[in-house]
This record gives sequence, structure tokens and C-alpha cells, in this order.
Amino acid sequence: MNFWFAVLRQAGRNLRQTWPSQIMTLLTVGLSVLLFALFFLIYQNMLNVGDKLGDDLRLIVYLQEEPGPEMQEQLRRKITNFDEVEQIKFISKEDAYKRFSEQLGDDRDVLDDLPTDFLPASIEVTPKKNLRSLAQVQLFSEYLNKLPGTIKVQYGQEWVERFFYFTKLVSLVVVLSGSLLILTSIFKVAHTIRLTIINRQAELELLKLVGATNNYIRTPFLMEGLLQGLLGALAGIAALYLIYTWIKLKFSGPGLLHLFDFTFFNGPTIFTIIVISITLCAVGSYTSIQKFLRK
Amino acid sequence: MTESTIQPDSMIEMIKVSKVYPPDVKALSSISLSIDRGEMFFLIGMSGAGKTTLLKLLCNMETPTNGLIEVAGHQIHQLKGAKLAKIRQKIGVAYQDFKLLDNRTVAENIAISMEVSYKKPTIIKKRVRDLLDQLLLSDKHDTMAGELSRGEQQRVALARAVANSPTLILVDEPTGNLDSTTTARVMNLLNKCNHAGATIIIATHDESIYRNSQHRILELREGKIFSLQGGSPS
Repeated sequence: MNFWFAVLRQAGRNLRQTWPSQIMTLLTVGLSVLLFALFFLIYQNMLNVGDKLGDDLRLIVYLQEEPGPEMQEQLRRKITNFDEVEQIKFISKEDAYKRFSEQLGDDRDVLDDLPTDFLPASIEVTPKKNLRSLAQVQLFSEYLNKLPGTIKVQYGQEWVERFFYFTKLVSLVVVLSGSLLILTSIFKVAHTIRLTIINRQAELELLKLVGATNNYIRTPFLMEGLLQGLLGALAGIAALYLIYTWIKLKFSGPGLLHLFDFTFFNGPTIFTIIVISITLCAVGSYTSIQKFLRK
Repeated sequence: MTESTIQPDSMIEMIKVSKVYPPDVKALSSISLSIDRGEMFFLIGMSGAGKTTLLKLLCNMETPTNGLIEVAGHQIHQLKGAKLAKIRQKIGVAYQDFKLLDNRTVAENIAISMEVSYKKPTIIKKRVRDLLDQLLLSDKHDTMAGELSRGEQQRVALARAVANSPTLILVDEPTGNLDSTTTARVMNLLNKCNHAGATIIIATHDESIYRNSQHRILELREGKIFSLQGGSPS
């Protein structure tokens, strides 16, 4: 009989003898993973919305005067001094008139009595499509407002700000639920293993007396922890997938979910969640059995 | 009476060993003793004389308050981890309180001492059957240890102690609950182990098992060596 055979048999015995508390632990770990993964999924999709928003986000800087080529170059330098941007586009008064006229469509005749230069020239600044750039869009707007010759700067200010407050809130919830996952997994698994140890105190003492090595005693408990982590994570992620599918089906008509792609985790993210769950449960199990072995 | 010369082939060396339990209960005082490899040795004395404490010190269940104990050349109380586990695999102990796992079968209880040293399952099965035959317990193979009588539990504890073919066997009151036929069986098994080379130390009240013995007999009184009779170490 080799080490692993003996250890697997011990682990099987442990599970058979303590299955009610094992199931409770599994449920706790599964719920913790579900809770964390749910908020993480929301957060991840918020980032996707952020990207999407970034695609459409433009800051329009209205200018008093139409800048000449040299002034354009100076303004371009000033803007890129603040941050890297995706694109800077100068719109002349004439272009602005053309655009406006196109936007009016059949009603464009309302412009007939107006001069073609009645609209101000402007600069369209497209920030980089990342969350950092989006996060500091307000600062960017304030900076652009101070550029010489600026009348005002426009962007979907209110919407962007609300979006970022919400993203911050979700990220806070992700951190909190992540901490909850860590604490509940470690403590619940440690508690279950401790109960098992108390239940089997006589047997473990005897194992020591007949010459079982610490590894022989420790490994089955570690395996229990690993199994709790693996099964708990799988259960949590499976439950989340069911919720995700339900939401997709429920809101499949025209609505919020059509504004952006509501996506599930990719393979590497699922793998990472499972590995984290396994590690936490193994840590919980290890600490309990080490306490016993040190006695 | 006391032997302090260290012999190269001795299994056990105890030099001025004392054990005091808190607050101030002197269980053993200044015990010096040498037991050879392959020797059968009887420890006698009244209850509370220190027999069980001496056995517990030898298997490292207790640590001495003073003195030196060597088992198979190792200071057993200095050992830790894998080294301690390894030497414990070579020491079979039949405890006075049996230390059986009540929710396990007789076979599982006996097998445990062989499982920790990774013996093959076929060898374990064969050895368990063999021991149960020798101790008249063949029909109890699958009985839960908690359902056995005290006499049966005593024999299972002994079977577990000798199952892994240890080089040192410590037996605490092996015949206390047994009739004369079963006592003879138990002693027969211990003699067999002894002939196979194991050192055996038996703590007992039962005069019948050491009365006509040619082995050494140490009598403890109030934690001290009162007498050491019988043949010289083999």
C-alpha cells in the first residue's frame, strides 16, 4: 500500500463519517463563491459598458475663434500635454453648419436665413478607450475649459459621472464580497475540519502513537479542504451561470441588455476563481490540522 | 539492581529516570535499567507502583521529568516528526485502556498499525486473519470493537500491538480480563514474537504468567525499583 492509497482511503473515511457537516461547508463555500462571482460579473460587465461608453465619448471644445493652422498645432500640443488621446479633430464653422444641416434633414430650410458661420468652431477630442481616461474625463474637461479661446466644453457629463459612481460602488462591493469569500471559506472550512478533528480525536491520537507521520495524518484533511474548495467553486459558478442565463432570457427583448453585451466569465477567469477557492479552503484546513499536530 | 553500563546490543537504556506528575505526584524515582534486544521482561508491582508510567515513558506517551531514556539507540524524547513516527512504527503497545476505535471493526483496528507503514492490503488481510485465529477471535473479524467484551477488546489491542512485527512490544496487563485458556493463548503469541526477535516488556499483576518464568522480573514499589530477579539479560 502506498502513501496516496492510504491517504485517499483515510479521506474517504473522513467524508463518510462527517458528510452532514461537509455538505453544510460545501453550501457555505458555494454561496460565498456565488456572491463574490455575481458582483465580480456585474463589475466586469460594467467595465465592458465603460469601454462601450468610451467608444462614444467625445469632448467638444467650443472655440471663440476659428483657429489657424499654427493655432491648431498649439492647441493639439496643449491637449496631448494633459493626456494621450485617441483623436483630435478640428471642426470649422462651415463644417459645423454642414453637419447641423445634415442632422436637420428635411427641416434644413430653417437655416436658410442664417449665415453659414453662425455656429462656433470646435475641437472634438476623443479620449483613449480605457477606464482611466474615462475616470478623469471631468479633469480633462476642466483642463480643456481653461485653454485660450474656449467658450465651453461639452460631454455627457451627468451620465458619465453617475456611471462612475456606480462603477465605484460595484468595485467596492466586489472587494467586500471578495473579503467575505476569503473569511467565510477559511473559517468555515477550518471550523468543519476542527469539528472532524474533535470527533476523531481518539483515532488521530492513536495514529500518532502507532507511528503515523504528520503527512499521513495531515494529507486527508488537506484533500478534504481541496475538495470543498473545488466543489464549492463549481457549485457557486454553476449557480451563477443559471442566474446569468435566466437574466439573459428574461431581458432578451429590447432593453438595457441590448445596449451592451452582457457576457459571462471567460475560461481563465473561471479557472482563477476555482484556484482561489481551492487555495482558501486548503489554507483553512491546513491551519486546523496544524494546530492539532503541534499539540 | 540498577545497571548503568551501556551495552551495545541493548534495546532500552534508562538512566536515573524520574517522573513527577503535577502538582507533586512522584510516579517514578531514579530508575536505571537496561533491557537487551530480544529479551522478555516482566514489570510487576501493585497498582500505582509506576508500571504503566514506565511503559508510557518508553513509547514517548509521557516525557520524563529527569533522566535519560534510549530506545534502540535513540533518545526517544528528543525525536520529532518523521523520525519519531518511524521509531513508533517499531514499537507495538497494548494499552491498559486498549485505545480501540469503537466505531471500527476488529479487523480495521488491527490493520491500523500496518496501514501507517504502508503494508500491502493483501499482507494486512492475511496478518489480521492469522492473529485473530491465534487469539480465538476469528468470528469477530467484522464486529465493531465497541460491541466486544473487555476480554475480547484486550486481545484485539494485543493483536494490534504485534501486527506490524515491531522490534519492541510493550504490554500493559495483557491477561487481566482473561480465563486461563485465553491467557495461555496470549502468552503463546507473545512468546512467538519474542522468539522471532522482538523485545517484550510485560507489566502485570498476574503471577501465573511470570511465576515459573526464567525471564527477568522487575518489581516496582512506590515508583522505585524494589527488586530485580531472574536470569541475566540474554
